[in-house]
Amino acid sequence: MAQKPLSRRTFLGSVGGAVRSSAIVLTMPMLLAACNRAEQARLSSEKFKTLSEEEAEELEAIAARIIPTTDTPGAKEAGVIYFMDNVLGDKREQELSLLLKGLIELKANVALTFGVAYFHQLEEAQQDQALIEIEDTVFFDTIRYLTIAGMFSLPGYGGNRDYVGYDLIQFDNQHVWQPPFGHYDADYAEKGQ
Amino acid sequence: MVQAFAATFPERDEVDFVIVGSGSAGGIIAKELSTAGHTVVVLEQGPHLQAADFTHDEWGIDHNYDMKWSTRQGYPQTFRKSENEEAELRDSVCGYAHNVGGSSVHFSGNFWRFRPIDFMEATVRGTVGGTNFADWPISYEDLEPYYTKVDWEIGVSGLQGPWDPPRSREYPCPPMPIKGSDVLLERAAKQLGLTPYPAPVAILSQPFNGRPGCIHCGFCNGFGCEVNAKSSSMITMIPLALASGNCELRTGCTVSRVHTNEAGRATEVVYWDGESIERAQRTKAVILCANGAETPRLLLMSESPLFPDGLANTSGFVGQNLMFNGHSSVTGLFDAPVNAWKSVPTTRVVHDFYELNPNLGFYGGGGIDGRHPTRGVPLGFGLVSGQIFDGASWGVDYKNNLAYEFSHVAAFDGHTTSLPLGSNNVTLDPTYKDKFGRPAIRCTYMDHEDDLATMKWFLNKSTELMEAAGAIKIAGTYPETGQEGNVHLLGTCRMGDDPNTSVIDSNNRSHDVPNLFMCDGSTLVTSGRGQPTMTIMALAFRAAEMINNAARRNEI
Repeated sequence: MAQKPLSRRTFLGSVGGAVRSSAIVLTMPMLLAACNRAEQARLSSEKFKTLSEEEAEELEAIAARIIPTTDTPGAKEAGVIYFMDNVLGDKREQELSLLLKGLIELKANVALTFGVAYFHQLEEAQQDQALIEIEDTVFFDTIRYLTIAGMFSLPGYGGNRDYVGYDLIQFDNQHVWQPPFGHYDADYAEKGQ
Repeated sequence: MVQAFAATFPERDEVDFVIVGSGSAGGIIAKELSTAGHTVVVLEQGPHLQAADFTHDEWGIDHNYDMKWSTRQGYPQTFRKSENEEAELRDSVCGYAHNVGGSSVHFSGNFWRFRPIDFMEATVRGTVGGTNFADWPISYEDLEPYYTKVDWEIGVSGLQGPWDPPRSREYPCPPMPIKGSDVLLERAAKQLGLTPYPAPVAILSQPFNGRPGCIHCGFCNGFGCEVNAKSSSMITMIPLALASGNCELRTGCTVSRVHTNEAGRATEVVYWDGESIERAQRTKAVILCANGAETPRLLLMSESPLFPDGLANTSGFVGQNLMFNGHSSVTGLFDAPVNAWKSVPTTRVVHDFYELNPNLGFYGGGGIDGRHPTRGVPLGFGLVSGQIFDGASWGVDYKNNLAYEFSHVAAFDGHTTSLPLGSNNVTLDPTYKDKFGRPAIRCTYMDHEDDLATMKWFLNKSTELMEAAGAIKIAGTYPETGQEGNVHLLGTCRMGDDPNTSVIDSNNRSHDVPNLFMCDGSTLVTSGRGQPTMTIMALAFRAAEMINNAARRNEI
């Protein structure tokens, strides 16, 4: 009954889905708008405080495979990269140095395997292939951690823009609730329990 | 504002009491002694936060340790499983909130009373070889009036259950409305012939004592309450202490030492103030309420020629017998929204297994309640979601599963006993120091085999309940290789009649130093079944009465 780590086979099953889903995405106007907004924000006013443009582009591309854009926004639209930029500059020197070192190694691997300069230039299926190779590393685990954190922390830290992370899991960050809270307690009083 | 009436005392003048720590016990004792007319200085490491300071900031609370503090803030701790190992640097091992009100501000508010058996289990059940399992020097009957005082002065919601010990007065507030996760638990438990009943919580179900009822926002466990519905000592006791005109609360004060004189009496408490200037407050008596990790550390740091092994440590028991309580958690996935992330952590409890059958071959017992598997927090759930049901941990499948699971899960959690062992302890780390140069808290801990067997038993029982509840998928976990940290810090200056096997007497007074008292999680002789704060608070009301009586008789 103990919780087990992800098996490689389970993961491989999901890769095909990733590619299929992302093709559908491009037809969705709402999502495109969100993508454009994020892109424009990056190009215009927002400068990275901790990461270089190149590092940010690579980390954002990895984050976008961890929580991909499907028919709902993913890490990219949530602005996870801005969250990463903020928190990596906040007393997280060890994590930052680990990620920067890992990015250099990733770049070398990508060049060797696919003959391109950067991870973000790869096709999505190639990106997933490259990530499967490193998914057991601390480097990947740290990016996964920060991606999820950027997706589900309060927007004040830079990610979870427009609460797209909360919307994804149907978590409504309102402060007042009244019973019934869900399906199973809805008829509790009626049943005289 | 009540603070306008707060007293200030010069450090060179003796006050009646210095209390170190303003948490569950410190807040209560400060209020009781100051309103009884004694002059009191409370030294608190953290800030005085208010309801308006509390948010749903999961990243800040859980990952930046905004309230618990860690190496980020300059307070490292270390951990090892046995004394043969070198302890490793960790962010958080012994967890507690650093603020006025201490961990009563961020706790989940589960308020089970201990039962008569908890105070005399070593006699009734028999001792367990190789452990320091012992009876308390007081009984449930001795403590009952103070449990009732907690109910009414602090504010507890509940309904007397079929297994509950006798009480002299009803709860002041009715139980919280049931959540979906607990409807599932209750129906499953009844199906198995068990007797679930409303969980008592230190959270107001309706307005009481000038405070509002709970608004069910869901951010109790780990977070401060935004509307003061959670019954912390910060909101219930500290304002009364300050309003007495006899209590000065000094925040941002880090205590380094309790000084004693040649006669072996405590004379002053040394600390750094908010500007890191070293100061000392002279006092007639000292009461340590700093918690089960900080209190022993301070005693060990206060060694002197008269007390070479640490202050009040003739028994050698200061810092020993650390008990975390055991835990297990079984998560079930359901086909309709449970929304266990709303409202208080839990609203029903199954207490049919408070004492496991001795024929099982191990000692133990506990309770099971219904919850959200990650305290309802989204980020925390995102981190474990892929692993709970053996699914993908990134990519499209991960995202889809996560999106569905967060609102569709319920957890049945076991909360269980821990045995007191000399080898589980808090000591001074020889290498790492905090930003003031105090030795880091070094925790050495490995659960006793009976404690592990108990956790496993509760895991299996919760699984059975989850099957009866009709979960589509079920997965469970418990710390099979031993816990490496907890927020329950119990037993490290325990109470007892024998000075050779306990640190304080049944009135919370040090066996060695007559004007030194300890009251917090460290006082507990046994661990109870996983919800210690109600008992810590009851002990605090009782200790305050004993100390007040002794002071009036000039016997301190």
